[in-house]
Amino acid sequence: MTINARTTLTSFVVNGDPQEVSVTGAQTLLNVLREDLHLTGTKCGCNQGICGACTVLCDGMPIRACLALAMVVDGRDILTVEGGKTDPVLSVVQQAFVETGAVQCGFCTSGMIMSATALLMRKPSPDRQEIREELSGNLCRCTGYAKILDAVALAASRLPIQESAT
Amino acid sequence: MAEPVEFYEPRTIAEAVAVLASVPDACCLAGGQTLVAGMNMGPLFRPPALVSLQRIDELKGITQRPDGTVVVGAMVTHRTVAQSELFGGGLEVVREAAGCIAHPAIRTMGTIGGSICHADPAADYPAVLIATDATVVVTGPSGIREIPAAEFFVDFMTTSIEPDELVTAITFPPAPADAVSVYEKFTRASGDFATVSVALALSLRHGRCESVRIALGSCGPTPVRAAAAEQRLVQTSLDESDVQDAGRILCDAAAPMDDVRGTADYKLMLIPRLLGRTIQRAQERAVAWRVE
Ligand SMILES: Cc1cc2nc3c(=O)[nH]c(=O)nc-3n(C[C@H](O)[C@H](O)[C@H](O)COP(=O)(O)OP(=O)(O)OC[C@H]3O[C@@H](n4cnc5c(N)ncnc54)[C@H](O)[C@@H]3O)c2cc1C
Ligand code: FES
Ligand code: FES
Repeated sequence: MTINARTTLTSFVVNGDPQEVSVTGAQTLLNVLREDLHLTGTKCGCNQGICGACTVLCDGMPIRACLALAMVVDGRDILTVEGGKTDPVLSVVQQAFVETGAVQCGFCTSGMIMSATALLMRKPSPDRQEIREELSGNLCRCTGYAKILDAVALAASRLPIQESAT
Repeated sequence: MAEPVEFYEPRTIAEAVAVLASVPDACCLAGGQTLVAGMNMGPLFRPPALVSLQRIDELKGITQRPDGTVVVGAMVTHRTVAQSELFGGGLEVVREAAGCIAHPAIRTMGTIGGSICHADPAADYPAVLIATDATVVVTGPSGIREIPAAEFFVDFMTTSIEPDELVTAITFPPAPADAVSVYEKFTRASGDFATVSVALALSLRHGRCESVRIALGSCGPTPVRAAAAEQRLVQTSLDESDVQDAGRILCDAAAPMDDVRGTADYKLMLIPRLLGRTIQRAQERAVAWRVE
């Protein structure tokens, strides 16, 4: 059994780069991304799991960075909104958000983009209802959501069609 | 910078129990979707020591025994349950409830063990465990205990496990071959906790109700079950008047509270309507099942 001291060296991969950070037991991934790695694209809206602004992918699955302790993601592969260069699906989603005008104040945008990327990674051609369901945990106070759904649909239309499992 | 917290990462159930028994005020960390949200509110809400169950492989599988019993490890996520093929017929209610817990990102991390140990009366799993007559398997320093769900949930956010025990699995007994089940959740917005929810497992023969179990969520400190309401439905063809009577009995047994999701009166109004909708969906499922 690993019994960790109060401060521990935790290592994980962020956007393709291996990172090693000294963290405490109560420190969240969101805090490490923003304060230690200065990746401030991931936003802190509520710190309670409610708003979705902090959504990132962990081994390809969407998670709330504000509810994941850094020690828990030790050894995992994290993708944030800054990872467009390393992930082709993410990059296509980002471009579609820009072209559609799906961004107003921008606070929800990185979370929206990461949730949409998670969906398109496992289902490249979702219908509108599936897009709505996947984004249901991401709140936007500005856009009224219509342009965001359009952006995800546009991104989907640009991805090669091949259904993966689930 | 966050306050320091001791962090333990046992690899086996036995190691986890040893830490819980020896470190004062140590607290299990499952998916963290409730616990970390609390810790983020400030140092007062941070336990001095966390025992992460994340790396205990024994807690992570879903298996089916030869007799049909489905055993779900405490660390199985809502996402995994929502996709599992092992929950059909009388256990479909388990899969259906898992799929409407919170939002996709929370379902990636949140676990069945964490949800039932938190025992929020508005959560989705507690009523499902009651409707399916599930058993909670617990391990502590003095060995393994099997606790029927009805004895596991004892009060508002209170369960019958001891601080040095941990939940290792939930077992769902096999339902009759012709059983169907439904989870109906009424929410203000998608992903919210239930204003009222109904978990139902039903067995029909030639349109008549052979057996039924109903549990309500968000209608009191623990899930509400009323044997009289179930008896009222057995051996009927579930006509409108049967369902109305059963709804009335359930309302008498329920003790919902006023909260942000609705007043107690509003919740009492919802109970019979949701029951009607749940039974109708169960009947449709039974028909579809026979056609297949
Ligand atoms: C925004 C939001 C919306 C939500 N909506 C819903 C909803 O609609 N319906 C719903 O049901 N839930 C909802 N939840 C709660 C969610 O389902 C959590 O996943 C769940 O309540 C806790 O599970 P966890 O694995 O994250 O546990 P944790 O947060 O890690 O732990 C919860 C508690 O249980 C204890 N514990 C955990 N595992 C064990 C174990 N094996 N043995 C003993 N003790 C243990 C911990 O010590 C802690 O006290 C929501 C949560 C959030 C943040
Ligand atoms: S900051 Fe994580 S969900 Fe709002
Ligand atoms: S663009 Fe402002 S919150 Fe979505």
